[in-house]
Amino acid sequence: MVDILPLSSYPSYIDLLPSIQTCNITNLPENYFLKYYLYHALTWPQLSFVAVVRPKNGYTKHTAPDGSGAGSVAEQYPKVVGYVLAKMEEEPTDGVAHGHITSLSVMRTHRRLGIAERLMRMSQRAMAESHRAKYVSLHVRMSNTAALRLYRDTLGFEVETVESKYYADGEDAYAMRMDLSNMWVDWAEIERKDRERAASDEKDGDEGDEVGELGKKEEEKEKMVRVKVGRGLGVGDLVEKNEAQTAQ
Amino acid sequence: MPQPLSSKDASLFRQVVRHYENKQHKKGIKTAEQILKKNPNHGDTLAMKALIMSNMGQQEEAFVLAKEALKNDMKSHICWHVYGLLYRAEKNYEEAIKAYRFALRIEPESQPIQRDLALLQMQMRDYQGYIQSRKTMLQARPGFRQNWTALAIAHHLSGDLEEAEKVLTTYEETLKIPPPTSDMEHSEAVLYKNMIMAESGKVDKALEHLEQVGYRIADVLAVMEMKADYLLRLGRKAEAEAAYTALLDRNPDNSLYYDALIRAKGISSDDHTALKAVYDTWVEKNPRGDAARRIPLEFLEGDDFKQAADAYLQRMLKKGVPSLFANLKSLYTNPVKRDTVQELVEGYVSTAPQSNGSSEGTDNTEFLSSSYYFLAQHYNYRLSRNLTKAMENVDKAIELSPKAVEYQLTKARVWKHYGNMEKAAEEMEKARQLDEKDRYINSKAAKYQLRNNDNDKGLDNMSKFTRNEAVGGALGDLHDMQCTWYLTEDGEAYLRQKKLGLALKRFHAVYNIFDTWQEDQFDFHSFSLRKGMIRAYVDMVRWEDRLRDHPFYTRVAVSAIKAYLILHDDPDLAHGPLPNGSGEDDSERKKALKKAKKEQQRLEKLEAEKREARKAASTKGVDGEVKKEDEDPLGTKLAQTQDPLKDATKFLTPLLELSPKSIEAQCLGFEVYLRRGKHALALKCLSAAHAIDASNPTLHVQLLRFRKALDTLPEPLAPQVAEVVNAEFETLLPKAQNLDEWNNTFVSTHKDSVPHQQAGLTSRQLLNPDSKPQCEQDLASTLDSTDITIETALAGLELLNEWGSSQAAQTAYAQKASSKWPEATVFRLE
Repeated sequence: MVDILPLSSYPSYIDLLPSIQTCNITNLPENYFLKYYLYHALTWPQLSFVAVVRPKNGYTKHTAPDGSGAGSVAEQYPKVVGYVLAKMEEEPTDGVAHGHITSLSVMRTHRRLGIAERLMRMSQRAMAESHRAKYVSLHVRMSNTAALRLYRDTLGFEVETVESKYYADGEDAYAMRMDLSNMWVDWAEIERKDRERAASDEKDGDEGDEVGELGKKEEEKEKMVRVKVGRGLGVGDLVEKNEAQTAQ
Repeated sequence: MPQPLSSKDASLFRQVVRHYENKQHKKGIKTAEQILKKNPNHGDTLAMKALIMSNMGQQEEAFVLAKEALKNDMKSHICWHVYGLLYRAEKNYEEAIKAYRFALRIEPESQPIQRDLALLQMQMRDYQGYIQSRKTMLQARPGFRQNWTALAIAHHLSGDLEEAEKVLTTYEETLKIPPPTSDMEHSEAVLYKNMIMAESGKVDKALEHLEQVGYRIADVLAVMEMKADYLLRLGRKAEAEAAYTALLDRNPDNSLYYDALIRAKGISSDDHTALKAVYDTWVEKNPRGDAARRIPLEFLEGDDFKQAADAYLQRMLKKGVPSLFANLKSLYTNPVKRDTVQELVEGYVSTAPQSNGSSEGTDNTEFLSSSYYFLAQHYNYRLSRNLTKAMENVDKAIELSPKAVEYQLTKARVWKHYGNMEKAAEEMEKARQLDEKDRYINSKAAKYQLRNNDNDKGLDNMSKFTRNEAVGGALGDLHDMQCTWYLTEDGEAYLRQKKLGLALKRFHAVYNIFDTWQEDQFDFHSFSLRKGMIRAYVDMVRWEDRLRDHPFYTRVAVSAIKAYLILHDDPDLAHGPLPNGSGEDDSERKKALKKAKKEQQRLEKLEAEKREARKAASTKGVDGEVKKEDEDPLGTKLAQTQDPLKDATKFLTPLLELSPKSIEAQCLGFEVYLRRGKHALALKCLSAAHAIDASNPTLHVQLLRFRKALDTLPEPLAPQVAEVVNAEFETLLPKAQNLDEWNNTFVSTHKDSVPHQQAGLTSRQLLNPDSKPQCEQDLASTLDSTDITIETALAGLELLNEWGSSQAAQTAYAQKASSKWPEATVFRLE
């Protein structure tokens, strides 16, 4: 029996990363260092999910010593049979915040259980809720009809363009995307609550404090160096560059 | 005091620093040399040049230069800082910290040095030092939220949860207005504080806090999971029920949520009707999901089970879901359920209209072939094994769908269980050829080649999906991409062939990958503070502390230790495999050894030639990275170690520390420590193994061997050690115990288990060497047991080798085993 779990929610299943890496290199030709997985898990912890086989006797460990609370998979290393590794695009060329599926795979022995679909739906929802992604994008091999069917027919992705020779072996990719804004959290509602709370806390409600809109925060964001997908060093490049700047 | 430079050179020096920061290494070196022409002893310039050289991979030269820089200018913080950075690059963290401290003493206000020191303190888990550094950094720049968060992390990880929470609150109180909703850093910091509250046991306070702040937190799912867990822990059942219902509405494929929901509802585990009703709700809400249909099969019994299993099986077989059996096999620990499932599926195939020539169409063919496929896996499975039936069914499935990769794959598995890896690898190769673009089946085929000890074919298969232009070709790419499964399997295949050099080579490669993974965290100590995803970072730090409790490590460590033990017991194997049985005749053995050495030299020479050829072709990889040539690609140096047991300890220490509950680890620990003459440590392993499983067969033999070792010590143990060892061992195997009796009791208590019988026989011939012929006969008789598996029988054959039994005895045993398992090749003696 397969469980779909958030990779690093509460509690964290970050100890599954080596198994996720193994699942990837068992199934797919595009592989990455563990550090690249860490980089995803520590930058967008909400976006990645993992499918594991439930151990025979269930999950024995619990979050509380007295056995109350929800169970936990941590430190039990169940078999990983699928995962979705996802991120937010760091320098969106169109200037629109959006998510991207870095890698998705399900072991051949565990196909047709709806695992990939569930993984995708969970990730998409988190992109919209946590990062206000306008849409999610991905690449798929043109020959991969099963995946294409999932993305287009089941999930509702649309083909954006064809990227010629996208893959190392020369195959073309469909660049696909899907709008996510219908799952956005209602910020107006949050701000209303903020004001309500402020009004009840203080006698003089601070109504002048208007909405810290998206754009305001944007300029404070640090300049990031593009991370080479896959074989690239990932965080290494990123960090050194930044440290050099702050060292001044 | 920094040595003064002319204003022109000073500006050149600033350029060097800039070139370094922009990774323009060549320009940096050139500019530095320009300065040095006029100021050959300028410490800071020498230091910068050293730093750049280090970044270019010229570690040794860089160190020489950095020392020279220091000699010229002991009072320069730059020289000390660089010295520290070079040590850090070498991963000598202790020395690096010392150098940073010197630098900091000279330049106490320097932010970069303070930061570098702090990062290393974190990496080294010097929490007290880290707290100090972070306090200093906070004082210097209190306006940055990062600095507050970092101090809180320092306190949190050091175990001072209260102080951690206080620091976070102090910063929050400086915020006059709530940061905008889009402020992820704030959102995460708030949730981090909540996590600390819950960890300190103040669950009620954490819940209260979460209810106040949760509505504006970006990580919606985490808030829901935390809240649900808190409610359940606090016994607020009705609210917990609502919270888990909400979670299941998001994700109905998570059995943890169902478990919690059922606890919240207070449904007793034997109230099957009520339990089933819960799951049925979600079948209705989410008809395409699997969990809600599958889980009830766990608790339902009798006719209820049969009915539910029938519905489940038929639905999945009609859909042709290939994972059906994998999804159900955990039920088989219950024999009634196992038999029910068998009966049901056998029923489907016997009543289903056969598809030959019928007009039923393809649907029925798929149902039928899926059913045969299911039965093949069923009869192939350990708890329901009947390999003849497995083969019949898989052949029927293949006949109906000759292109189905899974079916062909299962056929290979059946051969594996027959004990015929040759045939298994061959059949798996056929499966691979059915879908050459699929890496999964390619990986499987490679794995089976390795299981068949065909390392070359295995790599050849792997190379169809690797980046073969990488330095070192396909194998190099598998190292680069940290493909631990392959390296481990490859090493184990070499170990079976007694090619210990190559085996150790692979095991060390996996060991090094774990080192890399540990090192990987370094960059995140600063990166994560900027990103603000603090909970994920803290989880990572904690995970890194137990990184090597991962089964990938356990497995490779066990194999490496075994290799070193073999090497210690037979040092000649350092020169390559020796033919079986060459231990009998001294002159023959010498001949074999000479031949092995010659072969080793030939292979070494071949490698050296290849290396030269590569060097001539190019020194750079495709990525332009300079990669050092491996000086010992065959692992010859590893195998020719002076002290195999010490090398084994390197693998053993993390194993015992992080997987103390593994009885295999403890038993191996005993083997290493006993050979090293460390009796107290050997006994510690025995005690630990005893606590895990007092009747373990390996432990039984080890207890006896330890008793004998104590009785025949070449020189007495130190008095304090002797006292402790004797007292402790007395509780495991009392000195007054008659050992024959003790062994006989063990044998008769476990008379139905072959591994225990094997242990009893090993012990008997240890106690009484004259009994060996009888023991050999008795060991052969264990082959008559109906329960004996091929693996156990193979272990028996290895025992004979261990006992030093004659070739004739081994042949007799092997022949008997071969006639019991005629398909097996593992009993073929070369």
